[in-house]
Amino acid sequence: MRIVRAESLKLLGLPSAWIAVVIGLVVSPAIAFLNASTTVRAIENGTLTVPGGDAGYQELAFGVLGAIVLGVVAISSEYLTEGEESAGARQVTTSLTAVPSRTRFLAAKTTALVLTVAALATVTTAVTLTVTRVVLGDHAASLTADTAPRVLGVVLYWVLTSLLAYGVTLLTRNGVIPLTVLILNTSLVSVTYLLSRVIDAANYLPDLVGARMFLRDVRSSVQIAPVTGGLVMTSWVIAVLALGVAVFRRRDA
Amino acid sequence: MITVEHVSKRRGSTQILSDVGFEARPGRVTGFLGPNGAGKSSTLRIILGLDRAQEGVALVCGRPFARLNRPLTTVGALLDGSGAHRSRTGRAHLRWVAASNGLPRERVDEVLAVVGLTEAAGKRVSGYSLGMGRRLGLAAALLGDPEVLVLDEPINGLDPGGIRWMRRFLRDRAAAGRTVLLSSHLMGELAETVDDVVVIDRGRIVSRGTLAEVTGDHRTLEDAFFALTSAGSGDATPGGR
Repeated sequence: MRIVRAESLKLLGLPSAWIAVVIGLVVSPAIAFLNASTTVRAIENGTLTVPGGDAGYQELAFGVLGAIVLGVVAISSEYLTEGEESAGARQVTTSLTAVPSRTRFLAAKTTALVLTVAALATVTTAVTLTVTRVVLGDHAASLTADTAPRVLGVVLYWVLTSLLAYGVTLLTRNGVIPLTVLILNTSLVSVTYLLSRVIDAANYLPDLVGARMFLRDVRSSVQIAPVTGGLVMTSWVIAVLALGVAVFRRRDA
Repeated sequence: MITVEHVSKRRGSTQILSDVGFEARPGRVTGFLGPNGAGKSSTLRIILGLDRAQEGVALVCGRPFARLNRPLTTVGALLDGSGAHRSRTGRAHLRWVAASNGLPRERVDEVLAVVGLTEAAGKRVSGYSLGMGRRLGLAAALLGDPEVLVLDEPINGLDPGGIRWMRRFLRDRAAAGRTVLLSSHLMGELAETVDDVVVIDRGRIVSRGTLAEVTGDHRTLEDAFFALTSAGSGDATPGGR
């Protein structure tokens, strides 16, 4: 427990982690506001009758950027060198002389990350869905029995995505590559999405399959149930984490 | 008490350490001497469980470091630099280190005062000089008031006043019955600080004993060092860790 507290202090003491939290909190609601405003205008013009079933949720799939940055910096901060004068100096030496068991160290770090991202995702989801409903006003779809599982799906998706980023960074030790690849794929050019248009199996790549937990209007020839999506994404994450942990435990710090 | 027995390590095809063995005893300052790249840091990192040896054991107070619960109360370590992330303040760094071992928050301010960083405690580590970073690293090592100190080149980066302060500080620790193991490649500084000396060269222990024993018939420890190691022959490789 005390190690989890230390890891939380460490993570939330990083300016980059706070930037990630702000990105997470701001991006989804802002885009949700813009999209919902556009939808309302389209309905008033008569070009649209009802808002899409994924209004609000689509934006949350995009806002996962914040979770990615948190997952990456949780590890990359350990390996950041201190500068020219002491090139070999890194925080990880302090971490492992304070907590020598690498298994306990990673367990605590993972717990701190999961708790932080789960809290961030919960707040962001509430804000984003509220913004969507408020802007859509009378046009908003009524809440159904499917709302709660979808919200849970978003939170799980954010947590699993951050763990994926974290696992990859355990392997690379450096944040630049995982940050670039994962952020690009989520925002500007979704390579995995383009692949899924060509190859059916690409629908089972972690980011796409996981989004099935909360997206209901996915344009794809492959149908995947929400629970299946969650299980497949979880399997991806477990595989990457297992590899990352094994390498971290064996390698000289 | 630190015991190192028959430790060997290879990295790739390079033999870094060969059958390294020595002790650092309580109440004494033990100097671990060698040219750059001789294997000093590797040995210290193996003692601290950061690197693994293929053969041999390193024990701290009779146990492998990795088995220690709340290790900061047993061993304080100062390796390269400060060991802190540069975007944290000195105080924030010490806070998480203290929290990880369940040490009270008051200890943070106490050790900051001991190393003379109280005024800079709220500054980010990126703004620290090399010497201030070393002091912060030492502060972290002292948080748990440990039995044993392991210090890698502790006077590197310190100004003359800092060196003098460090020397007295280490002598006081030993006088209080604690174990101090420090590595250095600076003979002159070491001769006035240490009781026992272990000399390593190219991954092998070439001499060990009390300061007088290792100095032997040579005029100074420095002369003995150059006679014992490859440092004087001009083919020592600078810049290793």
